Amino acid sequence: MKLLTFSIFLLMPLIIYNVEGQGKKQGSTLADRVQQLTDLSSKKSVLRFNANKFKDYVKTAPRNYSIVVMFTALASQRQCAVCRQASDEYTLVANSYRYSPAYSNKLFFAMVDFDEGSEVFQMMKLNTAPIFMHFPAKGKPKAADTMDIQRVGFGAEAIARFISERTDISIRIIRAPNYSGTLSLTLLFAFVGGFLYLRRNNLEFLYNKTMWGVWALFFTLAMTSGQMWNHIRGPPFMHRNQNGQTSYIHGSSQGQFVVETYIVMALNGAVVVGMILMAEAAKGKGDPKKRKIFAILGLVLISVFFSLLLSVFRTKTHGYPYSFLFK
Amino acid sequence: MSQAGSKKGAVSKLNKNAAINSLIVFVVLLLAWVAGFASRLFAVIRFESIIHEFDPWFNYRATAYMVKHGFYNFLNWFDERAWYPLGRIVGGTVYPGLMLTSGSIHWILHLLHINVHIRDICVFLAPIFSGLTAISTYLLTRELWSSGAGLFAACFIAIVPGYISRSVAGSYDNEGIAIFALQFTYFLWIKSVKTGSVFWAVSAAVSYFYMVSAWGGYVFIINLIPLHVFVLLLMGRYSNRLFTSYTTFYILGLIMSMQIPFVGFQPIRTSEHMAAAGVFALLFAVAVLKYLQSMMSKSEFKSLVIWGGLVSAGLVFATVVGLTYAGYIAPWSGRFYSLWDTGYAKIHIPIIASVSEHQPTTWFSFFFDLHVLIPTFPAGLWYCIKHVNDERVFVILYALSAVYFAGVMVRLMLTLTPVVCMLSGVAFSVILEMYLREEDSTPAIENEEEESSQNPKRLYDKAGKVPKIIKHESKEQDAIGQNIRSIAAVVFVLLLMLFAVHCTWVTSNAYSSPSIVLASYGSDGTRQILDDFREAYFWLSQNTADDARVMSWWDYGYQIAGMANRTTLVDNNTWNNSHIALVGKAMSSNESAAYEIMTALDVDYVLVIFGGVIGYSGDDINKFLWMVRIAEGEHPKDIRESDYFTEQGEFRVDAEGSPTLLNCLMYKLSYYRFGDLRLDYRSPSGFDRTRNAVIGNKDINLTYLEEAYTSEHWLVRIYRVKKPDEFNRPRIPVANRVIKSSSFVSKKSTKRKKGTIKNKPVIVKGKRPAVKLQ
Repeated sequence: MKLLTFSIFLLMPLIIYNVEGQGKKQGSTLADRVQQLTDLSSKKSVLRFNANKFKDYVKTAPRNYSIVVMFTALASQRQCAVCRQASDEYTLVANSYRYSPAYSNKLFFAMVDFDEGSEVFQMMKLNTAPIFMHFPAKGKPKAADTMDIQRVGFGAEAIARFISERTDISIRIIRAPNYSGTLSLTLLFAFVGGFLYLRRNNLEFLYNKTMWGVWALFFTLAMTSGQMWNHIRGPPFMHRNQNGQTSYIHGSSQGQFVVETYIVMALNGAVVVGMILMAEAAKGKGDPKKRKIFAILGLVLISVFFSLLLSVFRTKTHGYPYSFLFK
Repeated sequence: MSQAGSKKGAVSKLNKNAAINSLIVFVVLLLAWVAGFASRLFAVIRFESIIHEFDPWFNYRATAYMVKHGFYNFLNWFDERAWYPLGRIVGGTVYPGLMLTSGSIHWILHLLHINVHIRDICVFLAPIFSGLTAISTYLLTRELWSSGAGLFAACFIAIVPGYISRSVAGSYDNEGIAIFALQFTYFLWIKSVKTGSVFWAVSAAVSYFYMVSAWGGYVFIINLIPLHVFVLLLMGRYSNRLFTSYTTFYILGLIMSMQIPFVGFQPIRTSEHMAAAGVFALLFAVAVLKYLQSMMSKSEFKSLVIWGGLVSAGLVFATVVGLTYAGYIAPWSGRFYSLWDTGYAKIHIPIIASVSEHQPTTWFSFFFDLHVLIPTFPAGLWYCIKHVNDERVFVILYALSAVYFAGVMVRLMLTLTPVVCMLSGVAFSVILEMYLREEDSTPAIENEEEESSQNPKRLYDKAGKVPKIIKHESKEQDAIGQNIRSIAAVVFVLLLMLFAVHCTWVTSNAYSSPSIVLASYGSDGTRQILDDFREAYFWLSQNTADDARVMSWWDYGYQIAGMANRTTLVDNNTWNNSHIALVGKAMSSNESAAYEIMTALDVDYVLVIFGGVIGYSGDDINKFLWMVRIAEGEHPKDIRESDYFTEQGEFRVDAEGSPTLLNCLMYKLSYYRFGDLRLDYRSPSGFDRTRNAVIGNKDINLTYLEEAYTSEHWLVRIYRVKKPDEFNRPRIPVANRVIKSSSFVSKKSTKRKKGTIKNKPVIVKGKRPAVKLQ
């Protein structure tokens, strides 16, 4: 009994604090709060919550609306580039919802910035950002109410699908048409056109076969070294394991790192240069000594770099029996 | 007199040279053919003469149907055994070139009283055509560069894994003959551009027609040739030869390609073909301008031609865009569109993204498939650009576009392979031509058939080039020296040897598995053949009703139809996404929900592939997420991909797996009774060797299905779907049925006068609950 009293005594300030909070809130009934939220969201589609507001609108028990909250850290000193992208996508969803026929006061969008409501982060036991959470109208958020951005990403479509899964409100994303591609293309054309116009008296460079050849070689080397795979899959630049060792070559034949493709591109390129050097040396008309050196250089380039290429290939293939010069 | 004598001597020498040249060409091509044919036979020798994989089974079935029922019946064939209950119009949805080719070979052989089974023709068709591909590659490269480069290219393409992957014996697919048609069409096109003769243009169109009838990849031709023409126009290389050949080719090719039922009106209705029409119009515009030029003063025409060309190009482009918007021209189909916008398929068409052939290509697969050709073909490209002419523009464009497409999609490595072989041939021949001038510098290394086929090439190069070279001989020799020449020769021979052994190794290890018969190797090197697929399909064909409908994932549709001859719901011709999604939904729902779908689709049997016993990784559980994804695409309310993952976002089948997964139909059918099975002493029961985990749901009871058949290594499991009166109540023989007589009689009678109350509440004496104090 003594213990109980003691604990009550100890808890007193907390309770009083809470009662105060309640007192303020009790004035705002459910209808009031919905009204406030609706008003706020008509001004701004994503509501910015600090700790108090978060408690008021999200944590308070009787609610008849769902609320989606993005926990993020947008301040520049936090250096969270991902948060910024995620925030843009999130705002896009909120805006699409704001101007869609499905708009109602059943669903609100909000965000909590770490620098404005770090208590919220502690309360929710969050230590990463960004996180998207859905707070359903009834009950507490379950595990599935946190969006798995590792798996689905945080594209606006993914967020919209997450929301429609959790709340049955489907939002059609209305993206402002992306003119950046068109714009850059137009700029490029304008640039090229302008350049040609300025150089109209001397268009000889267009007939420069070496330039075209270098471009073509660069393109083929980029393609054969798997840059397109990098572009589509987005692999890591290199791999660092627990011991701090970095590996540049992916162990399996199914994957590759970005560095690895550059290495392969360089090796391929060296062999190509070797081939060209050899041929030029043999048919050129220049200084015989120089040509001899070129021929030897070409031969060395071909044999050494092809052997390197082969040994890189061998490390990725299990049981590949052949090698050349190097193991 | 003496003059005449020397002339005669010169002529006979020339004749002798020409004779030796053609003999060498003939021998090398023959050897290339033989080597190519032989290296494709690994599968036949190791296993037997069978059709491989999935698509070939459909092609084989269609060919057998055509041979049996005749060509016209084949064209009108409505296959009610596929896509139940929709059916499939086969004649109108298939490229008939492959079936026609093997059908006509069969017909000719039988005319000569050589009785060969159609299956053997189908099995050996692709290896035979690889020889023809080598020959057409030789012809094309000879037109582009030189005869020596052509022989190199022919030898390369005969054994290169990038092409073997689609043309081993038994892989009876469109690509096997299409690459020949592709190369031959290009050869005829180059020939017609060079000569400007209508004959070659018509031949090119006929060859193009064959290509259209054989493979959907003909779109590559009908875009590449106009691109060639367009670039030639841009370079100011317009000529009457070009005009004649392209207009002839385009008109004839267009009309002929429309004769294929599957293609139909596509050449004038879809965007993929519009480039050809645009260039056709542009060519006329340029021709008109050229004509005007001849009538006007010289100074204005240059600009007139350029600006006129640009304006007409713009007009044509605007017309095409306008027609597309107006709906006369279908926009790019998803498959082609995904080549440009590389993220498109992943988001919008999961069924395209799900196919492993449609993934982008790593550098590893480039090197795996092409080996030494990858780092050498850019050198060939370089020389083609340096010494550009009308036909070399073509090969440059071919290389650049093919290398892009191959980067986007593994499958299109096939179109890259021929051009890589050609350009590598050019590179090798350029270098070796200059380094192998001395007779005695020829290395005498002959290890393999390949080497022996490459040696004559070098001889040939020498023989062909000797008269030209002699002039420079004295200067050249000083420059580089004999030693370096010999070393260079040895290095190159070593490279070529490495290439040959690599090709053999890759073919033997990676591309020669028929995938319907598996082989496993014991620790002592003994080989064990796992023939579960055929075993199960044979069981189906013998033990089920002729019209039984078998539900399986679409990968196995063609095999079930081809080997078991039973009706399937979905198959590898993935034309109806929603039907596939329905099957996917059934597989990923729980048993009762799946039963509703299965009764709606009249399913009698369900077939699943399960690799957990032998560690086969290509089984249905590993493919399962794609089923879920495709089902989710059509039924987002009922199926959610996230339900099949654990909290941590993992896909696992053990006890920590998500409950939705552990209770879905596919899981139950795969692991039914597996919990009782102990594979060896060390592992616990129910240990899945493919996923290295003990399964999470060990006692699985099936209500709506029953196990019908499981193959020897559990690879194929077949279940029978129960009829509505069979489940939930055990069937009791009529004799044992007893109708319970109720002892309660409501009527008042003399015996029982006392009234009773129905559902009389019973009082249960309460207990005082034990007091719990905290």
